[in-house]
Amino acid sequence: MIRHITLGLLVALSVGTTTPALAQKPVTLLNVSYDPTRELYQAYNAAFARYWKEKTGQDVTIRQSHGGSGSQARAVIDGLGADVVTLALAGDVDQISARSGLIPPDWQSRLPHNSTPYTSTIVLLVRKGNPKHIRDWDDLVRPGISVVTPNPKTSGGARWNYLAAWGYALRRPGGDEAKARAFVTSLYGNVPVLDGGARGATTTFVERGIGDVLIAWENEALLAVRELGSGKVEIVMPSITVLAEPPVAVVEKVAKKHGTLAVAQAYLEYLYTDAGQDIAAKHYYRPRLDAVAARFAGQFPKVALFTVAEVFGDWGKVQAKHFADGGLFDQIYQAQAAKP
Amino acid sequence: MIKVRWSVVLAAIGVGAGVARSGAAQQDTAALRDSQPSVAERLEQLDQKVRILARLLELKQDSVAAVAKQQPRVAAGKEGFLIKSADGAYQLKFRAYIQADGRFFPSEAPAAFGFSTLGLRRARPVLDATLWKYFTLRLTPDFGQGRVVLFDAYLDFRPVAQLGLRAGKTKPPIGLERLQSATDLRFVERGLPTNLVPNRDVGLQAVGDLVGGHLSYAVGVFNGVPDLGNGDFDVTNDKDFEARVFAKVGGLGLGIAASTGVEHGTVVASALPIYVTPAQQPMFRYRDSTIANGRRIRFAPQAYWYGGSIGVLGEYYVSEQDVTRATSGSRLTSRGWQVAASWFVTGEKASFTTVSPRHPFDPKKKSWGALEVGARYGELHPDEDAFPTFAVVTNSVTSAKAWGTGITWHLAPAVRFTVNYEWTHFAGGAPTGNRPTENFFVVRIQQAF
Repeated sequence: MIRHITLGLLVALSVGTTTPALAQKPVTLLNVSYDPTRELYQAYNAAFARYWKEKTGQDVTIRQSHGGSGSQARAVIDGLGADVVTLALAGDVDQISARSGLIPPDWQSRLPHNSTPYTSTIVLLVRKGNPKHIRDWDDLVRPGISVVTPNPKTSGGARWNYLAAWGYALRRPGGDEAKARAFVTSLYGNVPVLDGGARGATTTFVERGIGDVLIAWENEALLAVRELGSGKVEIVMPSITVLAEPPVAVVEKVAKKHGTLAVAQAYLEYLYTDAGQDIAAKHYYRPRLDAVAARFAGQFPKVALFTVAEVFGDWGKVQAKHFADGGLFDQIYQAQAAKP
Repeated sequence: MIKVRWSVVLAAIGVGAGVARSGAAQQDTAALRDSQPSVAERLEQLDQKVRILARLLELKQDSVAAVAKQQPRVAAGKEGFLIKSADGAYQLKFRAYIQADGRFFPSEAPAAFGFSTLGLRRARPVLDATLWKYFTLRLTPDFGQGRVVLFDAYLDFRPVAQLGLRAGKTKPPIGLERLQSATDLRFVERGLPTNLVPNRDVGLQAVGDLVGGHLSYAVGVFNGVPDLGNGDFDVTNDKDFEARVFAKVGGLGLGIAASTGVEHGTVVASALPIYVTPAQQPMFRYRDSTIANGRRIRFAPQAYWYGGSIGVLGEYYVSEQDVTRATSGSRLTSRGWQVAASWFVTGEKASFTTVSPRHPFDPKKKSWGALEVGARYGELHPDEDAFPTFAVVTNSVTSAKAWGTGITWHLAPAVRFTVNYEWTHFAGGAPTGNRPTENFFVVRIQQAF
C-alpha cells in the first residue's frame, strides 16, 4: 500500500514539474519608462504577454510607470523596483548603472543597436495652417514666438530638443559654440512654460492651447496630429535634427531578486522581432528592422539627421557640460529667468 | 495792393503749412496704428498670458503635490500625535493617558484596610517608534501612585502578520483582562482572578495572527515573575515558558493560556505573590521565610462575547506553585474566576477595545457621549492547604468573593468618567475571624489620546 502511495506521489510530482502550465507561477514585470511611451507599451505588453504564454505557458503581467526620463531614472536609483527600464536617453541608464549598480556598465552591448530597438527624432509641431510661418529652427528665436518644450533637468525628450537646437546652430554656416549658446539662449527666452515631461508639454500645447510651436518627439507629434489633437496641429520637419535613440535595459539586480531575469530579457528581445518592431512603428517610432521600416516608409519622411556622438561625444560629456547642476542649461535658463 | 498781396501770400503759406502738418499727422497716426497690435491680436496675447499663468499654476500644484508625497507627514488625532516618513517606513507616535481616581471606603471598616484618597492611578506616556517598517519600539513608563515604573519597553519585529517576534518587557500572554488595555477596562480595577497571572515580565515571544486574524497565538520564554508581578530582572536562572491561543469569530472570542516553569526564591526574594482586593489592598500573603521552590504552572481558559451593545467577559485561572518553608513543602493551587457584563444604554457597539461614542460630548450640539452600565462577580481562593504552615489566617484570607457594579460615561473615545461600587466578602483574614467586607466606591476620570 505504501509502495502505491509513494508511486502515486512520484507520478504526481513528475507531472507537476514537467507541465509548464502547472509548474510556472504567474510573473509580474515593472517597466519604468519615459513620458510618451504609454500607448506603445500598452500595446506591446499585451502582445508580449500572449507571446510568452504561448512560448512558456507562463502568465506575465507587465506594469508600466511613466514620467520624465530623468525623474524615472532617479526613482529607480532610489529604489523603485523596475525589472526593465525603457528610457529616453542612454545617459539616464548610465546614471542608474553608475549610481546604483543595478545595471551592468556594459548594458549597451547586451542588445543590438546599442540596446536601442527603435529610434525617433525631434520635430516641430505648429498650429493648423502654421499661422506664425514656422519653417525651421531659426523661426523659434523670432521675437513674439512662443515655444513649448519640457524641462531638460527632468525630461529626456527635452534634452533631445535642446541638443537638436544646439546641433542645428553649430552646423549652420559659421556656427560655433558661442553662437550655439546664444541661439539656444534666445530660444529658451521664448519658452513660457517648462513642463516636467514630454507628455506634459504636449498637453500644454495641444490641450491648453499655449504657444505657437511645440518641440517634440516625432512619435509624440504624429500621435498629436492623428489622435491627441487631430485637426488642430501639423508637423513641420526642420532642415536638420537629431537622431534620438531611446535605450532599453534589464535592471539585472532587481530582476534577479524578483526571479524575473529570463522573462525581463525576453521582454526586451521581443522588441527587436518583426512583431515588436511593427508595434513600435504603429506607435510612430522608427523601426530598426529594414523590412518593417519599408512597410512604414510613408509615415517617416526623410530628414537630415546627426547623432549625439557625432556632434557632442558621449552622453557622459553631454550630461556634465549641459545638464549637470550648474551646467550650460542652468546658466542659460537662470539668465533668462533673471530678465525683467 | 501790396498789403493785400502779402496777406494773401501769408494766408496761403498758413493754409499750406496747416495742410502739410495735417498730412504728416495723418501719416504718423497710420504708422502708429500699423505698428500697434490690433484688438484681436491683443486679445490673443492676453489669452495666451492667461493660459500660461493657468498652466504654470497647474504645474506648480502638481509640483507641490509631488513634493508633498516625499515629505514626512505630521498628524494629530484620536490615536495620538504622529510623525511619519513619506514611505511609511519610519514613524513616531506619541500617546498618553491619565487616570485620576477618588477612592472611598464608606463602611465602618478599620482604616488599616484602606484610606479614602484622591490620587493618580496611572499617568503614562506611550511612545511607539517604527524603524525600517518592520521594527517597532514601545516605551511606556508610569508616573502614577507617586512613583516611576517602566511598564512596557519592547521591540517588535513583525515582517508578516503570521509571525513576529517581541523582545523586552511587556504583558505576558496569559490573562485576558490583563491583556486588555488599561484605558479600555470596563471597571476601574481588574477583577480578582487577575491576581493569578503576571503583570509585566521581560522575555522573548513569537506572536502572530492566522486564518485572516481569526486565530492569534503567542509563545515565549520569560524571566518568570510571581502572580501579579512586575519585574525587570531575574534573580535566578529559572525561566517560565508561556503560551496562549485565542480564536475570534464574530464577537465571540475563546482562548486558553498556560505557563510552566521552575522558580526558586530566597528568604530575601521569595518569588511568591501578594494577592490584593479590588481596592488594591493586600488580602493574602505568605508567611515570612516561605519561598517558591519548584514548579509553577498556570492554566487560564478565557472568553468574551460582544454582541450589539452587550459585552460579556469570563475567565477562570489556576495557579500552582511549589513552596517550602523550613522543612515543609507543598504544591499549592490558587483559583480565581469572574464573569463581567456590560451594556451600552446609548446603543454603541460593545467591544474588547476602545469604544467610540456615536455622539461624542459636545454641549453646543447637544451631544452628550455614551453611557455604559456593567456588573461583575468574581472569586479568589488561595489554597486551603497554605494554612497554617505557609500563610496565617489572621492576616490572609482563605477566599474572597466580590460583586461590582459600574457606570461609565464615555465622553469621547478613551475619555471617560467612571463610577464603580464593589462589595468584597472575605473568609478569614482578620484576627477575630473574617475580614470585614470591603465596600469600595471609586470615581475615575480618564483622559487618553
